[in-house]
Parts: sequence; structure tokens; C-alpha cells
Amino acid sequence: MRKHAILATVLVVIALFACGVAQSEETEQQGVGEIRIGVVAPLTGGASTTGNDMWQSAVLSAEEINANGGVNVSGVNMNITLVKGDTETSREGGVKAVTKLITVDNVDILVGGFSSGITYADQVVAAEHKVPFIITGASSPIITRRDDIDTNYFFHHCPTTDDYPDSTLLFVDDVVKPEIYERFNFSEDRPLRLAVLYQDSKYGEGVYDGIKKVIEKHNLNMDIVAAEKFKMSETDFRTVLTTIKASNPDVLYPAAFLNEQTLIVAQGRRDVGLNNIYLSVECNDDPDYYSGVENWGEYSIQESRFGPYAVPSGDIHDAVVKFRDDFEDKWGTSPSMMGASTYEGVYIAAKAIEDAGNLDKSNIRASLAALEMPQIIEVMQNGVIAFSPDYRESKFELYMQQLISNETLDETRPKIVWPESVKETDFVLPDWYEPGSKAEEQTPAAPTPKGPGFEAVVAIASLFAIAYLVLRRSK
Amino acid sequence: MDISIFIQILVWGLYAGCIYILLAIGLNLIFGVMKVVNFAHGELLMIGAYVTFWLYSSSGINPYLVVPISTFIMAILGILIERFGFRPIRGTGKLNEIFLSLGLIYLLQNSAALLWTTNSRTIHSPYSDILVPLGTIKLPLDYIIIIIATILFLIAFQLFMKKTTIGRAMRATSQNREAAALMGINVERIDMLSFALGSALAAVAGSLWLISGQMVNPYVGSLPAIKAFAVIIIGGLGSIPGAIIAGLILGIAENVVPVIIQSLVAVFNVEMSFTAWKDTIAFLILIIVLILRPTGLFGKKGE
Repeated sequence: MRKHAILATVLVVIALFACGVAQSEETEQQGVGEIRIGVVAPLTGGASTTGNDMWQSAVLSAEEINANGGVNVSGVNMNITLVKGDTETSREGGVKAVTKLITVDNVDILVGGFSSGITYADQVVAAEHKVPFIITGASSPIITRRDDIDTNYFFHHCPTTDDYPDSTLLFVDDVVKPEIYERFNFSEDRPLRLAVLYQDSKYGEGVYDGIKKVIEKHNLNMDIVAAEKFKMSETDFRTVLTTIKASNPDVLYPAAFLNEQTLIVAQGRRDVGLNNIYLSVECNDDPDYYSGVENWGEYSIQESRFGPYAVPSGDIHDAVVKFRDDFEDKWGTSPSMMGASTYEGVYIAAKAIEDAGNLDKSNIRASLAALEMPQIIEVMQNGVIAFSPDYRESKFELYMQQLISNETLDETRPKIVWPESVKETDFVLPDWYEPGSKAEEQTPAAPTPKGPGFEAVVAIASLFAIAYLVLRRSK
Repeated sequence: MDISIFIQILVWGLYAGCIYILLAIGLNLIFGVMKVVNFAHGELLMIGAYVTFWLYSSSGINPYLVVPISTFIMAILGILIERFGFRPIRGTGKLNEIFLSLGLIYLLQNSAALLWTTNSRTIHSPYSDILVPLGTIKLPLDYIIIIIATILFLIAFQLFMKKTTIGRAMRATSQNREAAALMGINVERIDMLSFALGSALAAVAGSLWLISGQMVNPYVGSLPAIKAFAVIIIGGLGSIPGAIIAGLILGIAENVVPVIIQSLVAVFNVEMSFTAWKDTIAFLILIIVLILRPTGLFGKKGE
């Protein structure tokens, strides 16, 4: 018995020693010539298409950097090794992935993070371990603004829900509104009637709050005549679109994901006859959207920063085309917007480490905070990638596209119509467009108390009916 | 709000009700005959929609003409599920049946993801541009076809159940399995046929739902299945007329009630959106019915 105990103890000691040697060897190798970047993405689950696109884009950039000699860290050229962190499209999966990347894979920096909800959960682990995280796929500004954790290590490299409405509504005010007002002889005093249909989530509510802030900030002559919510993954929008139509909007701004946006536009135009200009948030600039919405999406507006079809003119044009071609050559599909920012995220991480001169995480953080590098494949404000000193957000130059029918493909394709610096063509107000009110009905649209209508009478009658049934039952 | 808008919302509710009815009747039939609660019934709707999409995209013919073929394919799938899934575990306890149907959810979802990827698919109806004027409103022709098709299916289903030998055998098995077996009915074959019919009805629901402009992906089945469960509980477990009435109530209520509440609170100058409350209202109805009639509208005590 005693012999067995001694043997077991010796085996355990040998095993522990072996593990220690293996661990130290890995650490040593890592210190000599390798930068380990953890890519946090939903590689499985509902958002796996986007997640795999993020991973493939990160692989492309890491290969490009390594092929060019790697990252020069204080005179030593180090190659990038990417490590997968699969969030499984869930909060729990995100926490598990980030924990593993930090504690088991010993990554130097994190890149990626799709979905505000998932990132909100998994960034807590990165904050505890003080690991720099370049977030390329979560749109809620809260990610770098929350105060319950230390957010100093988070750098937001994708537009936030505050940014989308800023560009979109400035475009509407600048281009769409004058076209409508000229065609229908509206007076300049008439406020543009805007309806909002937003997802019941941080993302949707963020966009709606952003819309209100932008109208106030720029003092835009717009009234929100309807603001309706829907549950995430909703598929039937006919009723809510019918009520929106009753509020007579000029423009409809949905804050929705791809599947929802497709159905909103198709059901709105086809079933409800809401012949407005439909706006769209950038996440819908995706080949699936164009095939799904068919020609119902014609003349709708798509805010974007990187898309599968339109390429902004100007200095960035060639870089975008090269990335797209390289991606298609390597993976056989088109890259998505989330892929584009993750591709840039790896370049940003490499530059920050090069500037830091070592792999110390606090030094990497400091160099990210001071980073200033030329735009890569997405148009940035002033042509430079830099993080704002307050909330560490990079600022994109978002552009607007209009969907134009392509008869050969029997689908629509986007054309950039705003801003002037990157536009491909002019905005067109379609013939079938119907404004919210006629010229002679130019009334201010601010919500006013309404008298009880037909539905109120039905509601009261229903309440009486239920009360009657309950009373009868209690008797 | 204009009365025409209210009527239009009523029609959307009627359309939703038709889909719920088709799905709930199949679920109810399986429960009635086999006493099995098939949690994967929404996934049968999803697979049915995918089969229709696949047949339509590979043949290019009118999607309505594809529906009978996908219905037949789904009936065969239903037979396979019953024969190799539920039959071997019959009588081994309710827990096994529950876990089998829960396992089927993942199996069918992952199979769909493997066969058709997780990207959403849709069908272009040849009639999507046609609007039919009905009084003050204009309705897309597809919805009228769906509502009429549902009515025809229900009539055919009732005739099948009442006038045919198999239908009568199904009803007999549903009423008393042992007595039916003693009368010479092959109850195992009836189990198989009821699962086939239930799956076929789910396929019809999924196909019509897809043709009406919806999008299918491997994860769309869950919510319709929950609604179908609510319908059969409201209508009464095992009751086909109950499922029809409850499907209509649920479909119309979840579309109309949020708009009514919104207008009602607007009277008190409260601007609030209730349109995201559709599902809440559906389950509120379920709770109210359960309080007033615990057996459902047409249910019998003991079910």
C-alpha cells in the first residue's frame, strides 16, 4: 500500500514537472517570435456566417503581415499567430471563449467581438485581466462607456448606434427632403414626417435614441410621427406597418437586422402599400439582403462603410478592390462588413504592438490610445484611424447607397449617393413614392392627444365582456 | 384610426390564425392519437418550408404546385420519425418521449443547417404583385389564396376524419386506444398515419407561410411551435374544432389587441408602443382561458 502511495506521488510530481517544462517552453517560444492575437467571433450558432467571415478576414490580414516580414518589435520581426475564440453566438459562450483565450491561450491582444449583448458579457473577463481588446463588431456605445468595469483596455473600431443616424439623417435632410418637397410643393416650414421601427434590444433602442439626439443636435426640421418596437427575430410586420402607415410618414427608418429588414421592406411595400423611402442600418449591406428583398427594396437607402457591391470612389478605391479580390480568391466568397473591420483590427493590433515595442499589455494599451495610422479599407474621418480620447472610438465616414434594380440579375444593387467625396450617382425619388401628407394638409405632426377612436370603443367593450364573464363565473 | 386600417389588421390576424390552425391541428392529432407531446413540431414546419423552397428553386415551377409534393415528402418523414423514433420508446415513460422530441429539435435544426446552410431563404410568389380590392382595402392575392387554401384543407381534413375508415379509426384510437385495438384496429399503423398527417399539415403551414413572403432558416420553428401549443391548450387538448377557434382567436388577438391598447392609452396622452407585445398578449389569453376554463374552450376533463 505504502509502495503504491510513493509510486503515485512520484508519478504526480513527474507529471507536474513535465507540465511546467511544457508551459515554460511555450512561454519562451511565445516571447521569441510570436504575437498571439485572439479572434473573438461567433464561429458556431445563429451568427456563424458573420463569425466565420470575421475569422477568414483576420486570417487574410495575418498572412499578409507575416508575408511582409511580420511585426517589427524593437528590432525583432515577430509573426502573428491567430487563436480562435468561438462565442457560439451566446453570452455564456462569449465569456467561455474570452476566458480561454486569456488564461489558456495566453493571447497578447483580442480582436473581434460580434453583438453588443455578447461583448457586454465577455468584455468583463478582458477587463479583469487587463487585456487590450479591439472591438470590431458591436455597435452599442455602452461597450466603452459603461462604468461598472474598467473600460480603458477597450478600443471600439466600428460605428456605434449614435453614428448611424447622424450620417443617415443628415443625408435625408440634405438630399431626400429637398427632392420630396420640390415634387410635392411642400413649404420649407413643414417638418419631415419620420417613422421609426426599432428592434426591442440595446441595438434597436440605441439607434432610436441616436435618432432623437441627432434631430436635437443638428436642429433638424423633422417630426417623429411614429415610433414602434418589435421583438428580435420577428417575422410578421404587417400589423405594425399598417399602424405606421396610418401615421402618414414621409420616410421610414427601421433599426433592424438583415432578416427583419428584408421582411419590413417587402411586407411594407407589397402587403401594406407603404410607398415611402425606407432607410437601413449598415449591417444589412449584405448579399443575402439584396437577394432576399428582391425588387421591393428598389430605391431604398442603405447606410454603409463596406459592402459587397459598391466601392467608394477616391483614394481608398484600389485598397477595397484588392481586399475583396484577395478574400474571394482565398475563401471563394465575398467578405462582409464585419470581416472588413476585423481585417483592419488585426492591422491595428500589429501597429499598436510595433509602436509599443514589446508585448506588455499596458504598453500595447497606451500605444492604441495614441495610435494614428492611415485608413485601410474603410473610409475614416480625416483619412486616419485614431481612437477618441474620451471613449476610445474610431470615427468612420459613413456613406449612403441607393438600391437600384438590375434587370440582368433580377435583384437590386447599391450605388453610393452621398457624400459628394465618394458618391457614384445621384439620389432618385421614385415615381411610386407617396409622402405622408399632401401639400394642403401641412399640419405640424407633433403628437397630440387623440379622441377615442373605433379601437378604443372595442377595447372598452372587451373589458366589459371580460368583467361580465368573470362575474358570471364567480356567481 | 380609420376603420379600413382596423379591417386590414383584422385580415393580418386572420392570416396568422390560418397558419396557427394548420400547425396546431397536426400537433393536436398526434397528441390525440398517440398521447405524445411533440416539441419538435415547429421544426417540421421549418423542414416543410425548406423542402418547398428546395423543390421550387430546383424546378422553378409555381410554388403553390410544389406544396402537395413537399407535403407528401414530409408525410414520409413523419412516418420515419414515428417508426424509428417514437415507436421503440412507446410505453417506456413520458420523460423518454419528451427528451426524444427535444432531441429531434436539434437534429432537425442541424440537418437543415447542413443541407441548406444557416442563411435565410425565401420564395418569390408569382402573384406577389397582384392586389385584390376588397371594399376600402386592397389585399395581396397570396393572402386570399392562403386563407381559402386553409379553409379547403380544414374541410378535407374534417371529411377525412368523419367519412373514411382510417379517419374513423384515428378518432376511435384517440378516444380509447385499448378498445380500438380490441375492435381490430391496428393502432400502431394509426400512430404512424397520424404522425404522417400531422407532419404533412406542418408542411402545408410552413410552405404557405414561406410563399406569403416569410423567410426560413433552421431556427424559425420554435416560436410557431410555442404558439401552436398555446392554441391547442386554449382550444382544449385533442379537440380539432377547439384548435380552429383558438387559432383564429390567437391570430386575430395578437394583431388587434396591441393596436387597441395603444389607442386606449393614447386617450390618456401616453405615447407608448405595444406592437412588440404580440407574444405577451397571446400568452395572456392563454392564462385567462386557463383560469376561466382549465380544460380549454372545447377540452374534456381528464385530458
